[in-house]
Amino acid sequence: MIPFTVIGGYLGAGKTTLLNQLLRSAQGRRIALLINDFGEINIDALLIDSQVGNRINLANGCICCTLSDGFHGAIESLLTEEPRPDHIIVEASGVADVQNLAQYGHSPDLQLDGVIVLADSETVRHKIRDKYVGQTIRRQLAAADVIIANKADLLPEADSFALNQWLQQEFPQAVVHSATQGDVALPLLLAIHANDKALDSAAGHAHFGRWSYSRPRRVCPDSLGRFMAALDDSVLRLKGVAEQSSGCLLVQVVGRRREIRAQPKVLAAGLNLVAIGLEHQLNADVLDRLAHQILEFTD
Amino acid sequence: MITIYSAAKVITMNPSNPVASHVAVRNGEILGAGSLAELQGWGDYQLDETFADKVIVPGFVEAHAHVMAGGMMLHPYMGYFERVRGDGTIAPGIKSYAALIDALRAEDLKMTDPEAPLVAVGFDPIYFADQPRLSRHHLDQVSSTRPIFVHHASGHLSTVNSAMLASNGVTKALNVEGLGRDANGELDGELREPPAMSLCRTGFSIIQRSNNTEAAMLEFGALARNAGITTCTDLGGVSLLVPKSLELWRKVTEQESYPLRVVQYNLGAIPGAVSDSDAVAEELRSLRNTETEKLRFPGVKFILDGSIQGFSALLNAPGYYRGEDHGQLLAVPDQLLSMLKPFHDRGFNIHMHCNGNRTQDLAIETIDSLLRQSPWFNHRHTITHAQLTTQAQLRKMARLGLCANFFTNHLWYWGDQHYEITVGPERANQLEPCASAIREGVSFSIHSDAGVTPLGSLHTMWCAVNRVTPSGRVLGDHEKIAVEDALKAVTVDAAFQLHLDHEIGSIEAGKKADFAILEEDPLAVDPMQLRDIKVWGTVLAGQKFQASTHP
Repeated sequence: MIPFTVIGGYLGAGKTTLLNQLLRSAQGRRIALLINDFGEINIDALLIDSQVGNRINLANGCICCTLSDGFHGAIESLLTEEPRPDHIIVEASGVADVQNLAQYGHSPDLQLDGVIVLADSETVRHKIRDKYVGQTIRRQLAAADVIIANKADLLPEADSFALNQWLQQEFPQAVVHSATQGDVALPLLLAIHANDKALDSAAGHAHFGRWSYSRPRRVCPDSLGRFMAALDDSVLRLKGVAEQSSGCLLVQVVGRRREIRAQPKVLAAGLNLVAIGLEHQLNADVLDRLAHQILEFTD
Repeated sequence: MITIYSAAKVITMNPSNPVASHVAVRNGEILGAGSLAELQGWGDYQLDETFADKVIVPGFVEAHAHVMAGGMMLHPYMGYFERVRGDGTIAPGIKSYAALIDALRAEDLKMTDPEAPLVAVGFDPIYFADQPRLSRHHLDQVSSTRPIFVHHASGHLSTVNSAMLASNGVTKALNVEGLGRDANGELDGELREPPAMSLCRTGFSIIQRSNNTEAAMLEFGALARNAGITTCTDLGGVSLLVPKSLELWRKVTEQESYPLRVVQYNLGAIPGAVSDSDAVAEELRSLRNTETEKLRFPGVKFILDGSIQGFSALLNAPGYYRGEDHGQLLAVPDQLLSMLKPFHDRGFNIHMHCNGNRTQDLAIETIDSLLRQSPWFNHRHTITHAQLTTQAQLRKMARLGLCANFFTNHLWYWGDQHYEITVGPERANQLEPCASAIREGVSFSIHSDAGVTPLGSLHTMWCAVNRVTPSGRVLGDHEKIAVEDALKAVTVDAAFQLHLDHEIGSIEAGKKADFAILEEDPLAVDPMQLRDIKVWGTVLAGQKFQASTHP
C-alpha cells in the first residue's frame, strides 16, 4: 500500500513553498506529487530533470503530475508504474474539499497517511469569516490531521501563540504547528519510511526523538487500541505492524488520528512499533512503561 | 445555384422583416426572406417545396450543452423520463425497480463476453423516494457473476452489484466515506462521490472515458439535429487539456454529413484549480486561428460552484430551505479576476457557471472590477445557469453588459424539489427569472445543460413559457414569458451571447442558411403544446438534414 497525503490550504498559506521544500528534501523517497496545474506550483527549475506532457521528472526520482486526466485517471496510472512511487501527495486547490480528497487514501492500494492543512497566520482568523470562502476554510481545517500555521514570523510571538491556541481550540482533532516559510520538518508531514536517515537532519531547528518497540508475539487487538488511545501529543506519528492468527493489523497515528486496519497477509512477525516526536517531548521511558502496562499478548 | 424554399410560414426573428413565405439560399447563405416575387430577382433558382406545409424558424442555438449528452446515450439508459436516441429509437423511462431489473437483464443477455462489466446511466433515486434505496441486492437479481455499475443521473452517485464490488476487491473493511452500508455495516452497493465510485474502477473508468470518443460526438450531432438545433455549444470542452479530443472534433465536424456547428468553450481551468491563465489564453488564441465553419472557439468557460439539488451551490441568505448546506466555490475568489483577465484582454467571451446567487455575486463583482481595469463594452460575458438570480443582480448585470443563460429545464425536472426541499416556495417561484430579465434589460438565453437534461429547444421554451412542474404546480406566474420571447432566447439571443449573432440566429440576408423545420407554428399552438411540435429536421448551410425521429 502506498501512503497517501493530502496537502491543502487557502491561497497565500504557503503550499507552493512547502511542496517545493518537500520535493527537495525527499530523502530518498520517490514522491509522486499530484497537482492541478504546473502554473500553480512553480517547481524549482534546479530540481527538474525532464518534462513530458503532464509529467515532470525530478532528478531525485520524484515525479510531479497534473490532473488533466482527472484524479481517478492519475491515481490509476501511478498504480501501474514500475517501480511504484513510495508516497503519493496530492496538492488540494485553495478551495478544494480536502475531506473528500482524503477518501482516495482509503482505497485498497493506498493508505491515508495524513491530511495537512496550511493556514496563513496573518489572515486565517479574518478569512474564516469571509462571505465567499469562510465555510470552505473552516471545512478544510476541520478535516486536518495536522495544521501548519505558516508565516508565523510575521506575527509577534505572543500573537502567534494565541493563534495556535485558537486553532487548537477550534479544531481539536488536529495537531497544530507553527512554521515560517513552510519550513516544516519532514517527519511532521510524511509517514515514517524505511529509507529515513537521521530524522533530525530534516530541518535545522527541529530535533526528533524516536521510540521503537518489538516483541516476537501476537498482540491482543483490544489492548493495542487502548495503547494507541492512551498516547498523548508527544507522539507525532506512530506506525506499526501486528501479526495476528490470520493476517496482520496495520496501525498508524497521525496527529490525533488513530487507525487500525486489517490486512490478510502477514507482513512481519510479532509486533513492531515505531514512533517519533519532538526530542524534548517524546519520552521513551514513558512509552515503554505505557506499553508494558497496556499491551497484552495472546501467545 | 439558388434554392428558394417555400413554407407555410417563415418566422425570421428579424424584427424588421418578421414573417415571410419563402427564403432564398445560395452557397449555404441566405439571400433573403420574403415572397417568391421578391426573391426571384436574384436569378435562376430551383424551387424546393419540401417544407411547403411546414414552418421554418432559425436553426435553434443551444448555448449550454455538453458532448456528454452524446456520450451517455451510448450506454444503456435507466432514467425515469423516456429519452430518444440519435437514431430515433426510444429508451423508455424506467418507473420501477422491476422494470430496471428487466432492462438490465436484457442488456446482460445482449453481451457476449461474460466477464465484461455492464455499465448503465441515468438512474435517478429522487423518483423512488418512497421505496428503499436501490442496492446491490436489486442488481444481484440481474446477475451474480457479471459486474454491474449503474451511474446515477446526478453524476455524483452509482449503485453496483456484489460482483462489481468483489471483482474490484472492495470489502466492508475499507473505510472510505461514501461507501454505502446497511444497518449491519454491510456494503449496500451505493457509491457516493468519485473517491468511492473510483473504487469500482472497472465500471467508473468506462463512464469517464465515454465522452472523448467519435461515437459520442456523432450521437451529439444526431440528437441536436432531431431537436432542430443547428448550433450547439460544448460548454466546458477539453480540447486544450486532451489533444485527442480536439483531433476527434476536427475529424467529426469536417464530415459533410455532420449536421451541427459545434461551438466549443474550453474550460479555463480545472474546476477548483488555478491555472496559468496567460498561457491557456494564448493556447486558445492559437486554437481560434484554426476555426472552421462547423467548429468554433469564441470563448472560455469557468465553473464557479456546484448545483442547487446537490446543495453544493453557494447561496446567499436565507440559504437552503431543507437539507444540509454544502455550498462551495470552485474558484479562489481572490484569484478570479487574474484568471479571467487574460481571456478578457484577448477578446474572449467568458461564460461563468453560477448556480448559487452568492457565487453569482462574486462573478458580478469580479466582472465589475475587470471592466474598471480593462473596459470592453461588447464583452457579452455570460452568467450561465443563473437560476437564483435576484432583481438586484439583474439590475447590476444590465449595467455591466452581462448576459444570462437560464437553466429553464430545471423548472420541469426539479421544480417540485426546489419548491419542497431546496429553496422553498418564494425562491422556487422566482427561479430562472426570464420575465424579470426582460423587464431589467438583460439579454438572455435558456438551456438544457444536456446531458443533464435532454437536448430540445422546444421543451426548453415550453418550460420558460409555462413554468409547469410534473406535479402540475405553476412555478411563478410573474416569470412566465411569451412564446416569441422564448423563441428569441433559443435563436438570436443565444447567438448573441456566443458573439455569433451576425452569422446565425435569424433568417436574414447574408446570414448562414441554418433553419429548424417544424410541423406547426410555435406562435400559433396552445403554449402547453409547444414541446409536442414535431421537428422535421434542420437545414444547415443550405443542406437538408431530416430527423431520424420524423415519421
